[in-house]
Amino acid sequence: MSQVPALEVDNLTKKIKGKQIIKGVSFTLVPGEVFGFLGPNGAGKTTTIRMIVGLISPTSGTIKIGGKNVRTEFTEAMRHLGCIVENPELYPYLTGWENLEHFAKMDRSIPRSRLDEVVTLVGLTNRIHDRVSTYSLGMRQRLGIAQALLGKPKVLILDEPTNGLDPAGIREMREFIRQLAREENLSVLVSSHLLSEIQLMCDRVAIISKGAVLRTDSVQNLLAEQERVIWKAEPLPLAKQLLSEETDVTEGADGTLITLYNEPLLPDWNAKLVKRGVRVKEMRTQLPSLEDLFLEVTGGESID
Amino acid sequence: MINLVRNEMLKLLRKKRLYVIILIIAFLVPLFTYAQFKEIQEQREKLGNQDWRTVLQQEITDTQNRLSSSRIQDEWRKYLKIRLSQQQYYLENDIDPRAPGAPTFMRIFVENSIDLLLPLLVMVIVADLVSSEASGGTIKLLLTRPVKRWRILLSKYLAMLLSVSFIVLSVAVLSYGISGVVFGYGGWNMPLLTGFTVSGDELLTDHVHIVPQWQYILMEFGLVWYVCMIVGTLTFMLSVLLRSTAAVMGIMLASLIAGAILANMVASWESAKYFFMVNLNLTNYVSGMATPIEGMSLGFSMSVLAVWGIAGFIIAFVTFSKRDIY
Amino acid sequence: MKKYTLTIVSIVSIAATLLWLFGLGWTLQDQFSATKKMEQPKVKTESSTAKKQEGTLTIFALGDSLTRGTGDADGKGYTGYLTDRLKDKTNQDINLLNTAIKGETSRGLLKQLQQSEIQRQTKQADVIVMTIGGNDLFQQGAALESLDMNAINGKKQIYLNNVKKIYSQLRELNKDAVIYHVGLYNPFSNMPDASTTSSIVRDWNFQSAETAAGYENIVYVPTFDLFQLQVENYLYTDQFHPNTEGYKLIAERVASLINFEQEEKKS
Repeated sequence: MSQVPALEVDNLTKKIKGKQIIKGVSFTLVPGEVFGFLGPNGAGKTTTIRMIVGLISPTSGTIKIGGKNVRTEFTEAMRHLGCIVENPELYPYLTGWENLEHFAKMDRSIPRSRLDEVVTLVGLTNRIHDRVSTYSLGMRQRLGIAQALLGKPKVLILDEPTNGLDPAGIREMREFIRQLAREENLSVLVSSHLLSEIQLMCDRVAIISKGAVLRTDSVQNLLAEQERVIWKAEPLPLAKQLLSEETDVTEGADGTLITLYNEPLLPDWNAKLVKRGVRVKEMRTQLPSLEDLFLEVTGGESID
Repeated sequence: MINLVRNEMLKLLRKKRLYVIILIIAFLVPLFTYAQFKEIQEQREKLGNQDWRTVLQQEITDTQNRLSSSRIQDEWRKYLKIRLSQQQYYLENDIDPRAPGAPTFMRIFVENSIDLLLPLLVMVIVADLVSSEASGGTIKLLLTRPVKRWRILLSKYLAMLLSVSFIVLSVAVLSYGISGVVFGYGGWNMPLLTGFTVSGDELLTDHVHIVPQWQYILMEFGLVWYVCMIVGTLTFMLSVLLRSTAAVMGIMLASLIAGAILANMVASWESAKYFFMVNLNLTNYVSGMATPIEGMSLGFSMSVLAVWGIAGFIIAFVTFSKRDIY
Repeated sequence: MKKYTLTIVSIVSIAATLLWLFGLGWTLQDQFSATKKMEQPKVKTESSTAKKQEGTLTIFALGDSLTRGTGDADGKGYTGYLTDRLKDKTNQDINLLNTAIKGETSRGLLKQLQQSEIQRQTKQADVIVMTIGGNDLFQQGAALESLDMNAINGKKQIYLNNVKKIYSQLRELNKDAVIYHVGLYNPFSNMPDASTTSSIVRDWNFQSAETAAGYENIVYVPTFDLFQLQVENYLYTDQFHPNTEGYKLIAERVASLINFEQEEKKS
C-alpha cells in the first residue's frame, strides 16, 4: 500500500438546494483491485460516481485519480480514467469505429493502433464498421467498455455494468472485469444494487445508504458475519428451545429456524439436537440478502 | 482543437440535417424563381411596354397617388415617401434596380429571407447541437475526456459557425444556379445605389454612392451571415440551457415569428427596438428601406444584435462549464 | 467517399466563413465611412433618348384626379375609355401611359415635368391628354364656397402663368404630338349659387382656351356643356368627380377629336 492509490475519495459531500445528498463519503482504491459500490437505488451511488468522473462538482471534499485532483488538474486526472456512467450511450448514427475514433481524437496521447487493440479486446471486430443503432445491448455495452479502455486508464468506473444483460452476458462481463484487473493492474469501481453480483466480482465493498458509507470491508468478512443457517427439524418447538440454549434463534416463515452461521460449533449443535430426538431434515447455509445486510448494518433502518 | 471541431463536423454531417437544409433551399428557390418570373411577365403584359423606366415611373405615380389619399396612416406614408424618393433617385440616375438576372434574384431572395427563412434554417441545424448530447446521454462520455469543458463547447460553437457559413453559401450558390436557368447568369456589374440614410421621414442621399451588384451582393451576404450567426448563437445558448431540442426550436421559432410580426406593428412602442428579433432586417439599411421604429440604423441594429450575441455566448459558456450533469 | 465529404464540407465552410467575414467587413467600411461621395455613373446603362415604338399609338396622360380616374367604378377614367374606344375604331396597338396624380395642381404638374423620365415619355408620345386646373380653382370644392372674386382672380393668374409654362415645356419636348387639354365642368351647377359658379368656370375655361390657342396643335376640349344639365347623373358620390357615365362622356368627346386628327394626317 506504499504506492499511490489509484482512486482516493476523501470526505466528499454534495448539497443540492439545501439538501445534503452525499454526506462525507471516503474510500480508496488500490491498483489491481475491483471495488464494489453497493447500495439500493437512490442511495447516492450514481451521484458519487458522477462527482468522481467530473460531471457534478462536489460541494466539498477531494477526489484524486492517480494522485491528480479532479477539480484542479481535471485534464490529467481524466487521462487516468475510463468510465461508463449508467447506460453506454453512444452516437447511434455513427459506426462503432467512428464512435471510438471520435473519443480517441479527444486525447492526443492515444495512438491509432490502440483502436484495433480495444476492438479485439472486447471482441467486436466483425461488427465494428456497422452503425451503433443496429447493435444489441450487449454489443453496446462492449463498445462502451472499449471506449472506456481507449486511454489505457488506471481506474475504470462502471455504473451498473450488467444492467439489461442476459445471464451469459453477465458472466462474460464479470470474467472480463476480473481479467482486466488481474492482467492490466487496473482498479475497477463497480456500482450495483445486486449483492450477488458484487460478491462474485469484487475484492472489497463499500455499502452506501442515504448518502453515507456505512461499512467498507472485504466481501468475505462482510458476508461471513451475516451468513445464516436454516434449519428444518421436527418437532419444531423442541428444536428451537435446544438451539436457543446455544445461540440466537429466530423463526422463519415456513416452519424453519434461523441461526447464525458458526462453522466450528455447527456440528455440536446438530449432535445435540439428534441426541435429544429431534429429527433434523435439512440444514443449509444462506447468504443474507442485501436487505438483511442492510437491516443489520444500519441497525433496522429500512432501505428507503 | 482541430480534432474536436472535426468530430463535431462529423456528427453534424452524419445527422444529415445539413442535407435536409440544402434540400429545403433547393426546393424553395425554384418556387421563388417561378414567382418572380411570373411577376415580371405579368408586368410586361399589363404595360405592353418592356421599358423598365416606364414600369418604374408607373410605380412612382401609383405611390404618389396613394400618398395623396388622406386616409393613409402616418407610418405608411413615411415609408411610401422614402420609397418614392429612392425610386426617383434610381430613375434619375438611369439605374434599373430590378433588372432581371440571377444576381438580382439572389439579392432579392436574400433580402426577403434574412429575417425569417434563413434564421429558421440555421435554427434547425443549431437547435440540437448541445441538447441532443444531453438528451441522448452522450454528454457523459464527452465530458469525461481529458478535455476541458469550455474547449468542448468552443468546438461545438466553431462547428456551428462553419455550418452557418455553409448554409449561407448554399443559399448563394443554389439561388444563383437555379434562378440563372430562367433569368440568365449575367448582371454582376449592374450598378446599384446604397448608403441611403433615413432621418425622420426624409431620405438623406448625402452618402449615396454606386456599387456594382457583385459587391452589393457580397455586402448583403456578409450581413446575412452576421444575422445568422447571432440567431445561431442564441439558439446555441438555448441548446445549452435546455435538454429538449423541441423546446429550443419552439422558443426560437416563437421569437423569430414574433419578431416578424412585431416589426410590422411596433412603430409606436419605441423600446421594442432593443429586441433582437426586430433588428434582423439588416439588408434594409443597405437598400435604404424605412425602419420599423424611429431611430434605428445599421449601426444601432448591429450593436443590438452584437449585445444579444455576446450575452448568449457568455451565458452558454458559463452555464456549460459550471453545470452539474445528471 | 464519406471521409472526403467531411473534408470537403469543412474546407468549403472555412472558405465561406472568410468570404462572408470579408463581405461583412466591406459593408461596415462602405456604410460607415462618411467620406464617400456620390459619383455619377460613368456609363449610362441605356441611352435614355426617346425611341418611338413603330406601329403603336402612344397616349401619354398627365394631370390630376380626372385623368387618374377617381370616381370611376372600374378605375379606368376617361383615359381608359378613350383607349378602349380607339382600339375599337382603329386596328392600331394603343399604349397608354398614365402619370396623373390625384390633387395635382398646375404648379405640381410643372414640377413633375422636370423629371427626366416624364420628359422622356413626353418625347415618345403620339398623343398627349391632360387635365389640370381643377385643383387650382376648386381646391376639393372648398374655395368656391366663399366666392371671393379677388382670390379667384389671383389663383387664375397663377394658373394661367403655369399653364403657359406647361404648354411650352411640352411643346419643347415634343413638337408633333397633339395635346388635348380637357377643360373644366361645373360640379356645382345644381347648387344654389349655380349662376355664379358657372360663370367663374366658364371664364376659367375661356381664358385657358385662349392660352391654348397661342400654341400649335393644342386643343382645349370643352366639357362644360356635357355636365351642364343633369349634372347629378354624371357625378360620383363625392359630388365632385365624374362617375363612370361622366367619364365615358369625356372619353367620347376626346375620342372623336383624335380620330379626326388621325384622318387629317393621313389625307
